[in-house]
Formats: sequence, structure tokens, C-alpha cells
Amino acid sequence: MPRPQPEEITFTIDGREVQAPAGLMLADAAKLGDVDIPVFCYEPKLGAPVGACRMCLVEIEGIPKLQTACSTPVRDGMVVDTTNDRVKAAQESVVEFLLLNHPLDCPVCDKGGECPLQDISYGWGRGESRFVEPKRHFQKPVELSPLIAIDRERCILCYRCVRFSQEVSEDYQLVLHERGADTFVGTFDGHPYSAPFSGNIIELCPVGALTSQAYRFRARPWDIEQSGSVCTMCPGQCNVSYTVRDDRVQRVLARDNDAVDDGWLCDRGRFAYQGAYVDERVTRPLVRVDGQLRPVSWERAEQEAVKLLGRSDGDGHTVGALAGSGTSNEEGWLLRRILTETLGSRDLDSRRDGALSAGLMAALDAPEAQATVEDLQYAHAVLVLDTEPVDDMPIVDLRLRKGHRRHGVRLMVAGSRPSSLDPIAEHSVRFAPGAGEAFVVALDAAIGGVGDVAGPAAAAGADPAAIEALAKDLREAGEDVVILWGERLTAGAPAAAEGSDPGANAARGLLKIAGRLGLTDDRAGAGLLQIPSSGNGRGLREIGFLPTAGPGYREPEDPGRDARGIAEALVDGELTVLHLLHADPLRTHGDRDLWQRALGAATGVVAHAQFLTEGILEHATVVFPAEAGAEKEGTVTHPDGRLQRLRPAAARPGEVRATWRTLARLLVALGGETSALTVMMVTAEIADAVPFYAGITHDEIGGFGVRWQERDAAAAFPQGETGPFTLDAPRSAASSNGALRLGTFRSVWSTPDVEHAPALRFLTPRQRAELHPDDARERGIGHGQRVRVSTGDGGAAVRAVAHLRQSAPRGSVFLEAGLAAESADAVSGPVVLVETERA
Amino acid sequence: MSRTGTTSHPASDGLGLLSDDVVAVQRGPEPGGLAGAYRIFGETLRGLKTTFGQVVAGTTTVEYPEEKVPVYPRFRGRHRLHTFEDTGLEKCVGCSLCAAACPADCIRVVAAENDPEDRVSGGERYAAVYEINMSRCIFCGYCEIACPFDAITMGHDFELADYNRSDLIFTKEMLLQEPPVRTPLRREGE
Repeated sequence: MPRPQPEEITFTIDGREVQAPAGLMLADAAKLGDVDIPVFCYEPKLGAPVGACRMCLVEIEGIPKLQTACSTPVRDGMVVDTTNDRVKAAQESVVEFLLLNHPLDCPVCDKGGECPLQDISYGWGRGESRFVEPKRHFQKPVELSPLIAIDRERCILCYRCVRFSQEVSEDYQLVLHERGADTFVGTFDGHPYSAPFSGNIIELCPVGALTSQAYRFRARPWDIEQSGSVCTMCPGQCNVSYTVRDDRVQRVLARDNDAVDDGWLCDRGRFAYQGAYVDERVTRPLVRVDGQLRPVSWERAEQEAVKLLGRSDGDGHTVGALAGSGTSNEEGWLLRRILTETLGSRDLDSRRDGALSAGLMAALDAPEAQATVEDLQYAHAVLVLDTEPVDDMPIVDLRLRKGHRRHGVRLMVAGSRPSSLDPIAEHSVRFAPGAGEAFVVALDAAIGGVGDVAGPAAAAGADPAAIEALAKDLREAGEDVVILWGERLTAGAPAAAEGSDPGANAARGLLKIAGRLGLTDDRAGAGLLQIPSSGNGRGLREIGFLPTAGPGYREPEDPGRDARGIAEALVDGELTVLHLLHADPLRTHGDRDLWQRALGAATGVVAHAQFLTEGILEHATVVFPAEAGAEKEGTVTHPDGRLQRLRPAAARPGEVRATWRTLARLLVALGGETSALTVMMVTAEIADAVPFYAGITHDEIGGFGVRWQERDAAAAFPQGETGPFTLDAPRSAASSNGALRLGTFRSVWSTPDVEHAPALRFLTPRQRAELHPDDARERGIGHGQRVRVSTGDGGAAVRAVAHLRQSAPRGSVFLEAGLAAESADAVSGPVVLVETERA
Repeated sequence: MSRTGTTSHPASDGLGLLSDDVVAVQRGPEPGGLAGAYRIFGETLRGLKTTFGQVVAGTTTVEYPEEKVPVYPRFRGRHRLHTFEDTGLEKCVGCSLCAAACPADCIRVVAAENDPEDRVSGGERYAAVYEINMSRCIFCGYCEIACPFDAITMGHDFELADYNRSDLIFTKEMLLQEPPVRTPLRREGE
């Protein structure tokens, strides 16, 4: 869809001629002429203006009455006056009116000092009120949710929070109750406002009516410093601004970057900073002595780690490594160098399930086929394939909703689990859990109009007619189609499976579909966008933290083992030491049974961790305290190729040291060479090694990042696998045969930092088994009943609460993976039995 | 002398001395006699008159620290935090405006929320930490002006010296106390 390219017009404001794009609202256009029009309710991020507060009244020549600048688009030749007596009188009256019921308790209000109402009262108000009657009173403060406090006396009824809930996050929970002076904001049903993006209304509120519970009375604007960085908790990599007081992060605010986050932030990004300041955080290096992790000095811990890693058994190497969410490019790079250069190991992985060949990854990540986050908003159609944005990369959920609502993007969803996007999606096609490969093959056949659709559709457990209809609309939607797909789609087969690699087959199918829809021919606005499984998945991929690819997707001479291979090699004793960089396979890598055996068999586990999660607490030999996001310096790469810079905002508590420096010291101690004295010098090493990052510096990345695809060095991107691709017959989804297929999902909320952040603890997910009401009825299960999910052969079972969803596909049950307790990872079978739990 | 031995000098007299080299020495009167006695004691007594005059005039020295000069009512000395007389609640709500106004950056406020069961201050919040670093304070009184609740005022005490810098950081409890030794206040017309 072509993006709007408005023409420039000229208008006059306060006697000055100003150039502005046509159609821009006067309140914004005035800024181009250095004229400040006061506003409360107007916020362009919220979509269409409502003109609720009347603060922006201006006089426009030719219009008898004063007009609201926020809802009047600027026109050529318009003559605007914002300073004459009539406008001044109106502004003073509006301020006086808005303050009628405002309690003016600024000294106790958290907004005091950064409050638009204060600023505008000073700037445009009369300074006195004629109102002598009693003000309206509400109970205050009231909990709107565990995260947000609402003070209804302070509210000026600007509708911002309600519009956010109704039109941006579309959770439809906030409404205005009553009428006139009795109006107040609340949830429609009186329950707490609980939504993944609820924290944004705190930042939107132009007065102190909505304040953060976590930041309540923590600091005043003059006590704090703002420090811009990037959140590294999920692939969304939203730009944030940390509020720091006394060397500690007190609050996280969104930092507008239209190309990344559009100015919003999810609640995890906003509140999980608290996890950095809890007692459970590891702040000293630990070494296992007599079966117990005991605090030791850094020197001792480093010696122990070097002893473990450097122990070689004659010819073969013994060390494998995993990197998880929160790893910066520099940390990944140094650990990669430790393994490949000093230990001769290629057993390192940053993907969760299975490796893809370097050629296929390069083809999927090629600049010509790359869609950006902004493309999601302007595309003709977006296919969300085997991913749930609100779980995997929350911020794009808002982007998809915005595209759909404001630009008419046609949204199509294909996945196994019901998606939160289903209500606005034109197509919602379901396939059996884990049958993404078969679905892609079927969709490719349907889009191409050649080959058999019914066969692979049956293998995917999907409705062929639905796939045909989806294919037809994708074909006819227009040139700009974006496919947003999750890494899980290209998951490899479990080791026991025979035949072709389903991950590679799915990747080839995806490339074929992209080719058929014209997404791979360097068209701006169309392409593929992959949501990786870890926060910096793309960066780790591009620096070569993979068994199958070197820096810049270079084909390695001999590929190493992927994550599962590493686990199996540990069990078999081929590997003995595991290096974990921000990963705990028991939480992050699925197949709990295998990993438990692997960690048990390992003679040494070196971990960099913020929290002692189960695998680390029980199995780690050396634990280095890891930095929290706000303490880290380095670079990360966004899923669309934008390199972004992490700047340290807060002090590291306790004895925590920079992880990159620890890794650099280990590298040198193990006989490697690095001249890096600063993070920037490590970035320079990466820029030298990855051809398409060539010459990139922290200065160039700057505050808003830079997409490497837009730099000259992008020409050095290696040629990936090119077609024509032939697809193998896909694996069939597990046949249910009375049992239910097990689908797992993993949300960004089931992480240690959410569990440990006091404000977010109430969000820690508990295991629930999602299934269709008919399936439940057959098994005599009611909603909310406790159930037991197991493979039925005496293996491990997961206890869960039955959650019946009409939209869940029949024959499947969904469990959440990655939980601290009762995680779906414990059950490894493709089909499971769900039974009511006997007391 | 460079000119010694020059015989051809035009100003030389018969004695061979050069007239511009003559230095006339002033001598006092010969000692002895009445005039001598006056000269010895008269001036001394004149000086002693001033000295003994002061003995009669009495002392103006204030025997500090035993005795103190009263200060003016608007003298800006050690700060005081106040409580409400009726309820005993602190007036300070921890709004931190004093810290914002402070040009020496010597006030630190950390606020916290009041427990409705056990209130500390009158408002929703109270100052959990309120510290003034007296070694940095310049006693300008801006904090007093900034305070919206008249919770902090400048007192009259100026005896703040201590042996240890860290003892000069006054905590909320110290500021809420009456100063241990009161400074006398100058009365009207004094």
C-alpha cells in the first residue's frame, strides 16, 4: 500500500508564513512555525482527535467561531491567530474550567513537576479561580489495577486512556461512566484493568489521575535523570528511557521510535526492571563447593571457569554453549570466539529448536525479502504465520491493530492456537500443533495453484477450503504483502524422526510462497519478517552464534551441534561442559527430561545468570552474576535488521561486573587474543567479521538505530539458497486417536524477571490447559477444573486448570511452556491424555 | 665615592669636603630637668588615660559560649521541621519542592506512602527520608519559601559545628526535635 505522501502547503500563523504538509492538524503544524498551542486530549498516537478538552481553541480567519486546533487540518492559505484577546480569553476560561474540580494537590501528586496541567495553567491560565463552591469528591486513591492507581478527582476527562483502551490496544476495558460532572473513568465491569499494554495509560495521562503503583512517590522530576536505551527482554526491542535515581532504575518510559515501537511499551518492559533490585538476584559470583553454590571472589570464579572450559580430552572438544534472551551482540561474539577459537568447538546455538542451514537462513533474511515493522502498518495484507505476537513480540500486536484500524491492512492469521488477533483477522486458519511445515506446503500449493492442497492440508490437520480462501485473498490483496512468521515454524524434527528435515522444508516452502507473492524482489513495503525465539535472535544469528553458520551467514566447514544435539551429546558424554549465556535450558529450551539428564551428566556448567532458576541452582558449577538490561552496554539487532545501541543507565548492584568483560577475560585466559578494552572495540571486531555490518560504529547507530539493509555495506550480504525449491512431502501431524495433540506456547511473561518483579508477580502465568468445550465434555472436564496432562505411558504429567475456549481447535490441548512450575516442557509426547485430577 | 680625590671639582671648599655630602643630624633636647621628666611621663600617662578609661567604662565582650548574642527574628539558622499541634502528624508530605529550590543541593527527600492505619503526615505521602547536609547548606531560606505546607522553617540556631562531616547530615528526626540549646531571640526594640 503506498504510504501517504502529503504535499506541502503554506499557511500563516501569528503573522508568520509556515510550510507544513497538507492534512496535518493545526496543533502539530503550529509547532513547525515555533508556535505552541496548548493541548490536553490531543495525542496523534491515539488516532483521530476528539476535541474533548477545548484547550487548543484558535481563531481562523473566515470562521466566525474559535476552532479546536487539534481537529482542524491545516489548509493552504489558512490564516491563524493564537494570541489575540479572544483566544486568550478562551484559553484562560478553559484552564479555569478544567481546574474547577481539580484538587490542586500537586505537592502529593506524582505528576507534579512533569504535569501538562501545571505547565498549561502557568502558561495560559489566569492564575485565579472564581469558583467558590465545593469541589467534587471521589474516594482516592483507588487501584485501577495492581499496576495503576487512579485518582478520579484529578481527572480532566480528556478521554486519552479510554481511547487507548478502545482504539489502540483494543482491549475495550476502560470506559467513562456516568455523565456531566459525575463522569469518571473505570473498567466497564468494575474489575481491575488487566491488559498487556495497560501501563501506557500512565504515560498518556496529562494529569496525575493515572499514576504508576510501582513508581508511586519514588521520586520527583528534579530528583531523577532520564537515560535512553533499548529493552532487551523480547525481540521487539522497544526503545525505552530509564528513570534513574540514586543509581537505580525507578521507572521505565517509552521512547518514541516510529520504526520500532511507535511510542508504546508492554507492561513487562515497563515494570520488569524491578527484578534487578530484589534479594533473589545473583550479585556475587558463585562456585559449587560440596554440592552447594557458595559466593566466591571474581578471581576464583574465573579460575574455576577457565579450569572447566579449558580442560580438553586429547583431540575432541568438550564444551557446548547456549545463548538466550538478553544477550547482546558483543557478548555473543566473545563467547563465540571462546568456543570456536580457543576450544575448537562449533557446538553453540542461539535458536531454540533445531538448526537451519546458513544458505536458507541467508535467503530468509536477505535484504530484498526483508519487511520492516513499519511495513506491517502500511501493507495491503499481513499474514501472521505460526506466531502469537502478543506472546512472542508484544509490541507488533499494537502495530498490526493500528494497521488494520487506520490503514485498512487485511490481516490473516494462521496458527494452531487461537490468536488474540482473530477478532480483527479476515482469515483465521488453524492447523495442528507442530504442523506448520505441512501448512506451508499446502499454502504454497494453494497460492501457486499447482499441486495438491488437500494432501498437505490433511497432514496439517487444516481445512483445505480455508487454505484456498486464504491463498486467494493473499494473491489478490495487492503487491505489498508481509508475512510475519515465528521461528517455531522452522523447528527441526525431534532426533528420532526419520526422513527430511521439516524445518528446512518449511523454510523452503516459506521462500516459495514469498517468491510467488513477489516478496523476494526487493519491493519496499513487502517481505518477510521473522520473530526469533530470543530477544536478540537476529543479532546472534548474524554474528554466527549458530552451529550451522559463521559470522555473516558464512557456511562453516563442519557444522556443530544445535541445542538438542548439545543436550544429547552431554547425555552421551561426548560433551562434558556447558556454557550458558542468559539461558537455563530447563526454562528456555523445552524437553525438560532430556535437558535434566544432560545437565545431570555434565561435569561442569558455567552460567551467566541474573536469577538462580532451577537448572542453574541445581546444576551450575560456576555462576557469574549477569547484568540487567539497564546496566548493559553494547548493541542488539532488531528482527528487521535495525542495529540498536544499549547504553548503561544504572549502576550494577553488588559485585556484578560487565558480562562482556568477563567473557573477554575468559577468552584471554583460555589463550585467545582480544585487544578490546571497551565494548565499542568489540563492536568493531564484529563489524570487521560480518561483511554487511562493515564499518558500523556506536555513533552511527545513535539513539534510534540504523538498519544495516540501508547502508552501503548491505551489498556484501551473502547469496542465500536460491530457488527453484522443491518441497518434500510434509510430516503428518500426530494422529490423535482418542488422545489430544499437545500444542505448547511460550509467552514473554513466563520469565524469571516477571516472577521476581514485585509489581508484576501477579501476572506470573499459571499452567492451564486450553481445549475445546466439546473435547472437554467428552472427557467429563468442566471449565476451571483441575486436570492432569500426560503422555499416558507413565511418564511425567503436568497439572493444570482446564480452560475451555470455543475458538480452540478440536483435538488439541494447549499448555504453556517455560513456566517455573508445571511447565509444558515436562510432557514431551506429541499426543497427550487429559484427565480430571482425582483428589 | 667616585668623586674622592678629584681636585678639580668647582664646588670644593677649603676643607676638602663636598658640601652636598653634609648630612645634618637632628638631636633632641639635652636630657634632664623638668622638661625631661614631663617628656618621660606625660605622654605615657596620656596613653594610660585611655587604658584606665576603658576599665571604668566596663566590658563589651560577650562571653561566648557562656553568653550569647540574641539573634533577630528573621535570622536564618538551623532548619526546623514542624508537626501539627493538634494531631501530632508531620506537616511535611515529602513533595521535595525544598530539594528543587535548594541552590546548594543539600536536601534529600525520599517519599513513601502513608499507611492509613498509622499515619505519619497529613497527606497521602510522607517523607521517609528527609536529610539536610548542614555542611553544604548556605542558609538562604529558599526551602522555607518553597514549602507549600510551612513544614520547614529556618530556626535561630547557628551552633552547628561538629567533629565529623557525616554528623552534619541532619536527619528528619533531628530536624523535628527542638534544638538542644536554644538561641536567645532579640526582643523588640533591643
